[in-house]
Amino acid sequence: MIILTKKAWIAWYFIIPAFLLHFMVVAVPSMLSLALSLTDWNGFGKINYIGFENFFELFDDRVFKKAVKHNIIWTFIFLTIPITVALACAYLLTGIKKGQLIYRLIFFFPYMLASIISCQIWKYMFHPLHGIGAWLSEKGYDFLVASPFTMKETSLYAVAWVDGWHFWGFLVVIYITGMYQVDNSLYEAADIEGATKWQKFRYITLPMIRPVFVFTLMIIIIWSVPTFDYIYILTQGGPAYSSEVLANHLYSQAFERFKVGYASAIGTLMFIYVIFIICIFGILQKLGWEI
Amino acid sequence: MINFSIKNLKKLLFFIIFSFLFSQPIFAKTTITWWAEANADRDPVFVEKLQNVFNASQNEIELVMSFKEALNDVLRTAMVAGTGPDIVETPGPSYVKEYQEAGLLQSMERYSKQYGWQDLLLPWSYSAGVFDGEFFSAPKTYETMIMLYNKTLFEENGWSIPTNLTEYESLAKAIQSKGMHVFSYGSTGWQPTHEHIGGMYLNSYAGPDNVYKALIGEKKWSDPEFVGAVELLRKHMVDDGYWSGSLENYYALGWDDFHAQFANRGAAMMTIGTWTFQTTENVFKDISDDWDWAPFPNLTAEGGDPSYLLALGTTLSINGKSDNPDAAAKVMDFVFKNKAMVLDMANDFNFGEFVVPLKFTESDFGDNVNPKVKRYLLTFAEETGKGNYGYTTWTFWPSDPGVHIWKDMEVLWAGEITSQEFMEDHEKLWKKARKNNATLPVGKR
Repeated sequence: MIILTKKAWIAWYFIIPAFLLHFMVVAVPSMLSLALSLTDWNGFGKINYIGFENFFELFDDRVFKKAVKHNIIWTFIFLTIPITVALACAYLLTGIKKGQLIYRLIFFFPYMLASIISCQIWKYMFHPLHGIGAWLSEKGYDFLVASPFTMKETSLYAVAWVDGWHFWGFLVVIYITGMYQVDNSLYEAADIEGATKWQKFRYITLPMIRPVFVFTLMIIIIWSVPTFDYIYILTQGGPAYSSEVLANHLYSQAFERFKVGYASAIGTLMFIYVIFIICIFGILQKLGWEI
Repeated sequence: MINFSIKNLKKLLFFIIFSFLFSQPIFAKTTITWWAEANADRDPVFVEKLQNVFNASQNEIELVMSFKEALNDVLRTAMVAGTGPDIVETPGPSYVKEYQEAGLLQSMERYSKQYGWQDLLLPWSYSAGVFDGEFFSAPKTYETMIMLYNKTLFEENGWSIPTNLTEYESLAKAIQSKGMHVFSYGSTGWQPTHEHIGGMYLNSYAGPDNVYKALIGEKKWSDPEFVGAVELLRKHMVDDGYWSGSLENYYALGWDDFHAQFANRGAAMMTIGTWTFQTTENVFKDISDDWDWAPFPNLTAEGGDPSYLLALGTTLSINGKSDNPDAAAKVMDFVFKNKAMVLDMANDFNFGEFVVPLKFTESDFGDNVNPKVKRYLLTFAEETGKGNYGYTTWTFWPSDPGVHIWKDMEVLWAGEITSQEFMEDHEKLWKKARKNNATLPVGKR
C-alpha cells in the first residue's frame, strides 16, 4: 500500500484515464483488426480463419501495388515541396518586423479550413464549365480546359497540390517557432564574419532547428500512410485508380466490396510500416540524433 | 408524521397494485422502430404522411421513424452488435444478402403468405427479395434508367427518338454538329454513375435475354455480345465524347452541373434514373423549354423493343433481433395495402422516392400527378408485364462484380486494358461469387 501511494506513482494515476480511453478506442480495435486480417470476415456474419491468404492475395492485387506506389510518390512530394516552401517562408518571415502575425495568419489559414471546404474551393477553380479554364477559354486561351483532377496523368499530383496548399502553413508555424529559439548572437557573429543570408540559413538556422526539422520529416512520413480525405473527396482514387492510395483501397474493400478481412490485411501492412518508421527514428535517437 | 394504520396500508396497497397494473406492457402500445436515410426535405413527409397516419389508424402499435446520416454504416454497426431497428431499410438486395446470410434478418415468408404480399407487389420486385426460397426483403422504392430529352429542342430540329444503333449514332452526330453535347451526365461525387450507363449498354446491345443468361450462369460475361457492349460504350464515351463532351468533363460534372447543362441546352439529352423527375421538373420550371422522357433505345443494328431496366432503390426487412416481428409486419402491410398513401407520398417526391412497386392502374392516379411521371409508371408496368425488361447492376450483381463494373470501367476507358480483358476479369469475379454462393435472386424470365 505504501508503495502505491509513493510520489513516483502519482504521475501514473494521472495517465490512467487517458490510457484506458486509448486502450478501448485505439488499442483494442487495432488488435482486433490485426486478428481480422487472418479471416475472411465480410463485416456482417461468420468469421472464418484463413491464415495468411489475404496477404498472399494482396501481392497479386494490381490496385494494391498501384496504391503503394502512389503512397511513396505522395510521401516524396510532401517531404520536398511543402517543406522547402515552408522553410523558405519561415526564414523570410523571421526577418519581417511589422505585420508578421498577419502573414502567419494568412499562411496558416488553409490549415484551419475543413478538408471538404478546401477541396470544394479547388474543385470549383478547376471546374471545366465555370472554373479558371472555362474563363481562359472564353478569352481565347485553351489552358486548363479539363480539370487536372479528372486526368489520370495529373490527378494524384493535383490532389497533392491541394493537400500541400492546406498543409504547408502548418509547417511554417512549426519552423518559425523553431527559428525563434536560435540564439541571436550566432547570427550577429555570422554578420561580423560577412556571411550571406544563404550561409546563415545553411550553417546556423538549419542545424539549430534540426530537432524540429527531423520531427516534421517523421510526421510527414507517418501521416502520408493513412492519407485519405483529400483523395476521397476530390477523385475517389480515380480516374482509373490513378490517385488510389492505401487508405482508399482499404475503404473500398471494406465498405464497397464487403471484404473486411482483406481490408484489415491492408491496414496491418500500413501499421507494420508505421511501426518500422517509428523504430528507425527511435534508433536514430538512441544514436544521439536530436529528435 | 406518517400514520401506519391498517386503513392507510390498504390504500397504499391498492395504489401500488393499481400503478403496477397500468404500467404493464399489456396496456401499452408496441413500439416499432424504423430507421431511414436522413434527408431534410423528405423526413417531414415521412413523419406526417406515414408515421402519424399509421399511428392514428390503430391503437396497438406506435411506429417511430428515425432518420440517420450515413444509414448504411450506422445500421451495419447496430445490427452486428445485435441491436438496430425493427424495420431494416437497406439500399438494395446486395446488402440484404449480407444481412440474411449473417442471420441478422427474419424470414417474412409467413407474413407474405398471411397478408398476400406477393399479389400486391410487381412480380420481379417480389422475386428480388426471395433468398434461399424464403421472402426476406420487400421493395420500398423502384426505379429504372431512362433517357431525358429537351422536347422543345427536338421539335425545333426535327429530331426523333432513335430506335436502333444507326439512328442513335446519327442523332448523336446531328446534336454534336449543333455544338451541343449528346448527353449531360457526370460522376463527380458519385463514382458509380458509370454503372448506370454500363448497365444500359449491356442490356441494350447484348439484349436482356443474354444478360439474364449470364446472371444465372448460362452464359459467360466474356462472350462477344457483352464485350461488344462495353466496347461500344468505350467508343461513345472516350472516342466520341457523347457524355458532356469528353471523358474528363464527364468525370468532373456533378448532379447540379449536369442538370444545369441539360436545362440550358448544353446537352440535348440526359441518361439518368427515374429518381431525377423532381430535380428535372425544378430546373425546367423557370425556362421556356420543355422536357420529356423515353426509354433508352435498343442499340442493335436491327433495333427492337427497348427494355426497362429493373432496379430497387431501397428494401425493407425485419430485424432478426426484433422482439415484435408481427407488429413490424403489420406496419409493412399497412404500406403495401395503402396505394393512395403511397402515391400521395411518392407524388410529394415527384416519384423520386417511396415508389413502392405496387400494381398501379390508371384509376389510382389523381389529377395532381405529373402526366409525364404517370405515363412512365403505367408504361413501365405494361412493358415489363410484356417481358420488355432488363437488369440493373446495383440490383442483380453481387457486391464484388458489382463494384468492378463501375470502378474498373475507368481502367478500360483509360486505355490500360481492352474490353475483352475487362469482361474476362468480370467473368472471373462472377465465378468467384457463384462459388461463394454470393449471387443475388433473379426472377425467372
